[in-house]
Amino acid sequence: MFQFINTLLIGVTAGSIYSLMAIAIVLVWRSTRVVNFAAGGLALASSFVGAAILEKSGSFWIALPVAMLAGAVFSAFIEYFFLRPLLNRSGEKNQEIFLPIIATLGLLGIIKAVLNFIYGDRIGVIPPPLSDKGFIVSGESIALSPLRILILGIVLLLMIVLTIVFQRTNLGLSLRAASFAPEISRLAGIRVDLIRTAGWAISGAAGATAGILQTTNGSGSIAPESFEFSLLLVFGFVAAVIGGIESLVGAVLGGLTLGIILAIILMYVGGSLVFFAAFLILILVLLVRPQGIIGVKGGRRA
Amino acid sequence: MHNRQITNRHRFIGFALIALVVYILSNIVDEWRSYQGATVAVYVVAIASVILLTGYSGQISLGHGALLAVGAYSAALTQIYLHAPVWICFVIAVLTTALFGAILGTAAARLSGPYLAGTTLALAVGLPSIANQFSIFGGEQGISFDAGWPPLSFGENFTQYKWFFWIGSLAALIAMWWVQNILRSRYGRSWRAVKSNEVAAELAGINIGRSKVLAFTISSGIAGLAGALLAMTMNNVSPSAFPLALSFSIATGAILSGVNTLGGVMIGSVALVAIPEIASSIADRWSGSENLATLLPEFIVSALLILTVFLAPKGPIEKLRSRHSK
Repeated sequence: MFQFINTLLIGVTAGSIYSLMAIAIVLVWRSTRVVNFAAGGLALASSFVGAAILEKSGSFWIALPVAMLAGAVFSAFIEYFFLRPLLNRSGEKNQEIFLPIIATLGLLGIIKAVLNFIYGDRIGVIPPPLSDKGFIVSGESIALSPLRILILGIVLLLMIVLTIVFQRTNLGLSLRAASFAPEISRLAGIRVDLIRTAGWAISGAAGATAGILQTTNGSGSIAPESFEFSLLLVFGFVAAVIGGIESLVGAVLGGLTLGIILAIILMYVGGSLVFFAAFLILILVLLVRPQGIIGVKGGRRA
Repeated sequence: MHNRQITNRHRFIGFALIALVVYILSNIVDEWRSYQGATVAVYVVAIASVILLTGYSGQISLGHGALLAVGAYSAALTQIYLHAPVWICFVIAVLTTALFGAILGTAAARLSGPYLAGTTLALAVGLPSIANQFSIFGGEQGISFDAGWPPLSFGENFTQYKWFFWIGSLAALIAMWWVQNILRSRYGRSWRAVKSNEVAAELAGINIGRSKVLAFTISSGIAGLAGALLAMTMNNVSPSAFPLALSFSIATGAILSGVNTLGGVMIGSVALVAIPEIASSIADRWSGSENLATLLPEFIVSALLILTVFLAPKGPIEKLRSRHSK
């Protein structure tokens, strides 16, 4: 029982980080209908920025917002200079999603190569800002540590902020309208292109946070070829798809489901089946609901 | 090209010419080039399977590396447990992977767009790692697959890699011949019909689900052949031979070749093999720094990919064709 609760805690923490990455992917999908593999590279790049700031300033609390800002800027840059021309070229009617996927895959490669060029063999370090030693309950150390509470707190805070932005502000309304009906929104005076860039920027900030939290929760260091980031990208995408790729709530549900089930499998079945389990979870969910947990068939959610 | 019909005879002559070129090449190049030639053959088969699935049937796959793994492992297991001759291993690899693809395709036919992309991506990450769980697959070290030495009658100087080059090229030519035929058969036409407009295709009496599953099955079978060929060139099958990067390279190769036309398949395959070598020679000349040598291939491939997506989204062949017809 004790071990089971610990496993759940580990799973919820990992899952909440996947949720953030899933949110980054969902935001881009909703605003431009692009599956953004570059999100993994953007998270990596902004985590490196975070690590550099941390080294200079010594404070995690300065590094995190700066990294988020960097993520937003990188992401908006990519949307403005690469994806917008590409999508304008292929036209709105084009249902082909293979080309944009491949384009973002190319961007991912370029980002990694550039980071490799800058950093080479050096690694960025983001040590845990709080103790990662678990609390002691009745003589035994549990998996809940100050660091895990911090991670869950940051994720929760971001989700609350995002919900408020999406439900209560004009920006959120425009974001929802622009993804629901771009033509009508344009007629209604919403600057759809600008709003799309904003969607990408928010996605970049979410991805940067996911990257930094993944690093502190994991080994504490990042390298351009970091395995943890491939993991983050793949599981974030899988979580987004499980959740129905259109929905922010779905992304969170998907991330938590994935995190918890994978933690249980890691604990009780064996490490080498984790990746295959992710595939099984995905295909089982999609066999029951081909549109994901919160997807709507044939429709676009506002 | 628009005023002249290309008949099967022209195609056959084309294939024979390619075979002749391969034969001459294999006699003049050294061991290393022969190995590269065999690798090009592997990529040709793998990219053709992606083009068939994505370009013609309209289903996205980011996970063809996993299908290659299925083919490679089934070839190796057939050899180890049934002691079958190599060509039977290849046939079994194709059949097993096709069967696997049929099961997967049944699930995939219900999915589209990002859902299918996500599923195939998860497959690419998940499937090779199973090998670590069951001892029959030999864990991280993998299991061996020995395509054998060339027959003695070919002479003393006939090297192992030249033999691989021959087998690979022959397999690739047969596979390509078969693929281009099936793409022009009624199956190929129904795939294209489903891809361009599902509702219209259904009204025309095409069973959409069956058409998609068939495409997935055939594409998987061909990918299985590519996997067995890959196992042959490496003499070994292990999970590390099928990383996510392999699936991405195959998708990259398909885009560089032009995902909607089978004819460009050589372009992508040669590019994938040649670029790392070109990049490392550039890196040597410039600085000799090891760092540059490792990152340059990825950079060049990625940059080419983005250029292709922007300048020739339908692929280099279509680009030239549209320029000529203007």
